[in-house]
Amino acid sequence: MGEENQFDAIVVGAGPAGLACSYLLAKAGKAVLVIERGDAPGAKNVTGGRIYSYALNLLDKDLVDDVAWERKVSHEEIMIINGKRSITMDYHDPSLTEGDESTQSYTILRAVFDQWMADKAEEMGAMVVCGIRVDDMIQREGKVVGVIAGEDEMYAEIVIAADGVNSLMAQKAGLIPDIKKETVGVGVKEVIDLPAKTIEERFKLSQNEGSARMILGCTQGIHGGGFLYTNRESISLGCVFMPQEIVQHGIQIHDIFQELKMHPAIYRLIQDGETVEYSAHLVSEAGFQGMPARLYKEGLLLVGDSAGLVINTGYSIRGMDLALLSGIAAARAILGETDLSQIGPAYLAELEKICLLPTMRLSVGYNQLLEIPRIYSNYPQLAIGVMQRLYQVDGQIPQNFKKQVMEAINESGLTVWQMLKDGLKGVRSI
Amino acid sequence: MSRIIACYKWVADEADLKINPDMSVDLSKAKGKISDYDKNAIEAAVQMAKITGDEAVTLTYGSKKAKLSLKDALSRGPAEGFWVNSEKAEQADGAASSKALAAAINKIGDYQLIICAEGASDTFARQVGPSVAARLGIPCVSSAIKLEFCENEVKVSRKLENGIEIVAAQLPAVVCILPEINRPPIPGLKAVLDAGKKPTREYKIEELGLVESDLSARTETIEFKAYVMNRKNIVLDGETAADQVKALVGSLKKEGII
Repeated sequence: MGEENQFDAIVVGAGPAGLACSYLLAKAGKAVLVIERGDAPGAKNVTGGRIYSYALNLLDKDLVDDVAWERKVSHEEIMIINGKRSITMDYHDPSLTEGDESTQSYTILRAVFDQWMADKAEEMGAMVVCGIRVDDMIQREGKVVGVIAGEDEMYAEIVIAADGVNSLMAQKAGLIPDIKKETVGVGVKEVIDLPAKTIEERFKLSQNEGSARMILGCTQGIHGGGFLYTNRESISLGCVFMPQEIVQHGIQIHDIFQELKMHPAIYRLIQDGETVEYSAHLVSEAGFQGMPARLYKEGLLLVGDSAGLVINTGYSIRGMDLALLSGIAAARAILGETDLSQIGPAYLAELEKICLLPTMRLSVGYNQLLEIPRIYSNYPQLAIGVMQRLYQVDGQIPQNFKKQVMEAINESGLTVWQMLKDGLKGVRSI
Repeated sequence: MSRIIACYKWVADEADLKINPDMSVDLSKAKGKISDYDKNAIEAAVQMAKITGDEAVTLTYGSKKAKLSLKDALSRGPAEGFWVNSEKAEQADGAASSKALAAAINKIGDYQLIICAEGASDTFARQVGPSVAARLGIPCVSSAIKLEFCENEVKVSRKLENGIEIVAAQLPAVVCILPEINRPPIPGLKAVLDAGKKPTREYKIEELGLVESDLSARTETIEFKAYVMNRKNIVLDGETAADQVKALVGSLKKEGII
């Protein structure tokens, strides 16, 4: 093997996890090769989405001022849909757009954001090569020593698998089995172009302000939900479902998504917009339980989605910040450990230190909670039913509130006993 | 060893074009790419150079945006990349581009074959190849689908409407190729990495003995608008497949298509 085929580190996948790691390694003077399958960084991505600034801050404080963000999220919204009716709760904190940058979050478009991160990594000296698929890894005596792309072999002291959910690298290394249907959701998303002014009017945003919305009850009772993020001049609207249940219910994903788009409360937000992007992707849904039992092998580290690092709490979804953290932890481990065989354990220690693993462990409860099927149909119906009775004035003698609530409960198909049990499970889980 | 020069144009990727409601075209979000047919030209140069033992190089005339093209071009196999850098290229037509390219080719020197695509994938004006040949005072052969070297000549198979014409041209010569000539492979990992290490050469127009006014376009683009092709929305019915086919054939005949 000649010197031109040898790198300090090879990173497979130019997403936030891979690029964060590459950025730090290159900054420390390492020879880093990043191989991306898409024609450009971010080309293969579907994320909503938003990035939390604390993670960028950890990566490099100097980057935060320069980040390629769309809008700063100051409106956190939860929407519950049942039939044509809806409830939207909007938590607004204007201070989130100014001052302390360590607790903000930004909506981003991945095609822009990933390219920006790749440029930053390249400025530090990393080589980012796009449009190349890594087909396999080279292993010797149980150690990963390089990768194979087409007819070319490249070698490195450490390979970082940042190739996303259902990671081919992790599979080839024997760290994860082939994908299990109950651990992944299918996400679909459209990016809908609208003028900035229209978005600001419809979402009641001032300039630069953005909103992030989770939508419950839009999946015809299937385990899943919707999301909506405002970008500068577009809206990212999407849905995530469990594919298994889709099949059982005999429903088409695009039918559910179309229904969401046409819902009166959603349609008025996207009206007159032009869909400029349509995409679908797998999303890890199993939280901590979905993580591979081992996140490394000698010569190989798993980061980001490859390591199953996604947290869905029901009120927010986190993935990209966790990806950045894992990339940072990987880089710290590689730079801090001279004994190659000890990089894996060092990586785990860094993941603990950076609070990523503890955070993932906490997600277990949320997953149990979100497994309650009633969350996706009966409870949205109940919430809407209560509201409907509360606000309906028809000149008749109003019933007392307790009776109205009981009526709504009956209508939603729930029982008080069931609700108590679910409530207890909820309190215990989180 | 002399050079085989493949010329290419860095164009806006048509996949990123946006059509505004007033039918104007928004190019602002379009990324650049090497014109599709020019990839065939580069591949043809690389293949010929392998046979003749010459050196394949690339040449482009473009604004600073075209800098991105050099690595891409070199990942396709050529040994060196030349770039005439001028903002004037943004408004260039065939006359202006061929002047810049011909001047650069003279500067590069020691060439025996210039390969261009028949036309660029954005304008397809088919001016540059013949114009470069005229300015250099060398022969030009167009519509090439096959090239062969024999002694001091290049033997070119030209695709005509009803057949293939084989012509021989004295070297050095300009050949304009059609995309049928080859299938350019997608560069592999090593090729892309190697491209970063290959030499590139940037020419300012003054170095080529030109002044800005030499590169003024002789034609002017007045308007650039999208074109809408309305579908006819004809639904053919018929009970059996045979009936349906009959209706389809009848309809196509009526439209004068068959």
